[in-house]
Amino acid sequence: MKRLIILIFAGLLILSCAPRKVTTPQPQTMPSAEEGRATGSAQGKGTTEKGTAEIGGEEVAKIETAEIKEPTAAELTEQERMEILRDIHFDFDRYDIRDEDKPVLKKIADWLINKDNVKLVIEGHCDERGTNEYNLALGDKRARATKDYLISLGVPEDRLQTVSYGEERPLCTEHNESCWWKNRRSHFVVIEGGQ
Amino acid sequence: MRRPIITVLVFLLFLSTSAHARVLLDITSPGFTAVPIAIYDFLGDERGNRVSEIVREDLRFSGVFAPVDREAYIETPLPVFDPSNWTPLGVELVVKGSVTTEDGDLVIVLYLYDVVEARKVMQKKYRAKAEFIRPLAHTISNDIYKAITGQDGVFKTKIAFIAEEKDNRTIYVMDWDGKRLRSTGIRAPLILSLHWSSDGKKLLYSSARGIQWGIYLADFTARKETLIYRSTATNIAGDFLPDGRAFLFSSSRKGSPDIYLYHLRSRRMERITWKRGIEVSPAISPDGKTIAFVSDQTGTPQIYTMGLDGRGLRRISFSSGYSTSPAWSPRGDSIAYAGMVAGRHQIFVVNLKNLEPLQLTVKGNNEEPSFSPDGRFITFTSDRDGYKRVYIMRANGEAQRPVSPGKMRAFGPKWSPK
Repeated sequence: MKRLIILIFAGLLILSCAPRKVTTPQPQTMPSAEEGRATGSAQGKGTTEKGTAEIGGEEVAKIETAEIKEPTAAELTEQERMEILRDIHFDFDRYDIRDEDKPVLKKIADWLINKDNVKLVIEGHCDERGTNEYNLALGDKRARATKDYLISLGVPEDRLQTVSYGEERPLCTEHNESCWWKNRRSHFVVIEGGQ
Repeated sequence: MRRPIITVLVFLLFLSTSAHARVLLDITSPGFTAVPIAIYDFLGDERGNRVSEIVREDLRFSGVFAPVDREAYIETPLPVFDPSNWTPLGVELVVKGSVTTEDGDLVIVLYLYDVVEARKVMQKKYRAKAEFIRPLAHTISNDIYKAITGQDGVFKTKIAFIAEEKDNRTIYVMDWDGKRLRSTGIRAPLILSLHWSSDGKKLLYSSARGIQWGIYLADFTARKETLIYRSTATNIAGDFLPDGRAFLFSSSRKGSPDIYLYHLRSRRMERITWKRGIEVSPAISPDGKTIAFVSDQTGTPQIYTMGLDGRGLRRISFSSGYSTSPAWSPRGDSIAYAGMVAGRHQIFVVNLKNLEPLQLTVKGNNEEPSFSPDGRFITFTSDRDGYKRVYIMRANGEAQRPVSPGKMRAFGPKWSPK
């Protein structure tokens, strides 16, 4: 008799639970939405719960980062680095070339035109104020404005490449205007050409 | 099934059932005050105290519940309930439970009682491997939250963020409360702009590698990173569309940073803006129809919205300074962003009906807001401790607290959709 009752109950339970799938949590997913799916998950509305909630977790599965080779920097003389490839600067939230920087760019253009087999990478940088994404776009504008000016001085476009580092690679890390000024710049890096 | 089925059946036989539903709390009503709740340390062993404490912290942070002082607990911790014990104290809900071990697993039986309705609202058994004590406790919090409010809790969600170490950045994921920090293994000198897929199984982001900004996709199920698009232009990942088949991004591939849509299957790019200035940080509305983004077309960066086709431009922020990093509330009725006040960035939320901004932060610089999936919380970056750190707060600015580890330079938080 007891067995019969249990069987009847079991039958009822199976019927009532039938549409609810018992999900065993899947290990090795990270971070997974599967985590802790409950059998008889909360139906809300304050009804009494049936069944056991099985809570899984996640095991940390590392993802490999795809590496990309950095280009090789070209060898430069002390004079080239210090006197020709000097940073140019920008006003806050601006990306137009300032008049006082135009002679610097002229020097760079003349040097580059006479130098074969190298490519000039123009890095656009910003100060720390502003959000990272907007500053990345602003750095892009600064590098492009610099590139366009060099093209206007006769540098072939294929000798120039731009990259924005926004506020991600500051030269100076103090929080004041003299430091911010140093960081709002186009910086020049010479790499071996042909790539 | 890992245990004899009979134990479950026997257990279920003892469960009481109730067809009658509680009147759900309206947590959105303006006069809402937190519900006093007594949460006992669960009987059994010290794990019971731990679980109860996690549940208390979850429910307290939600702002919906006010866990009462344990000294007020006059009833036995056993699962018996007499509402007349609680009515004089003003306590409206009572939680009791017990902890046992079955085959090495942690098993908890939970009882939730409603004082006002004088009845048991919920009785439920939970089981997890011993190391998943926190996810188990958060599941209990979600169940209590749902039983009382009818809404899904966010106590099992996560926050992804970027940590800056010496020469590298790493993408980390932690529980929303800052616990169970784990590295994804994704590490590169420069990583920016994380975006979850709506199933929470993928992350899209930008990374500069080999002096080019690429958009990468990490798939946590397949456990791999894929390069989606890379060029000598500045390519910055934006939001996935709700169906996950396309994402927004900004790129200077045609000369100036503009907004594009990238269709993942066909690899087709669709240009949405055609402006000479900066258009960046596209964020999609929950219904997938409207883009919020940043444009400097008036001279300073401000927040705008437009349709997916680029039409219907509307300015959303009107501060004299700088407004960036828009994030949609999951209900689609407001947008959070970082605006400048006295030279510092603060988090604002603007209601799209009246465009009245509400300032939520005051200390230090506060940027990069991201809503929890229920819209009741915001994670953001703040440097108020002297270095960038991930914080959380309620969406009205209350209960601000850091969640990323101390001393770690952490930023770019994104609340997971699930």
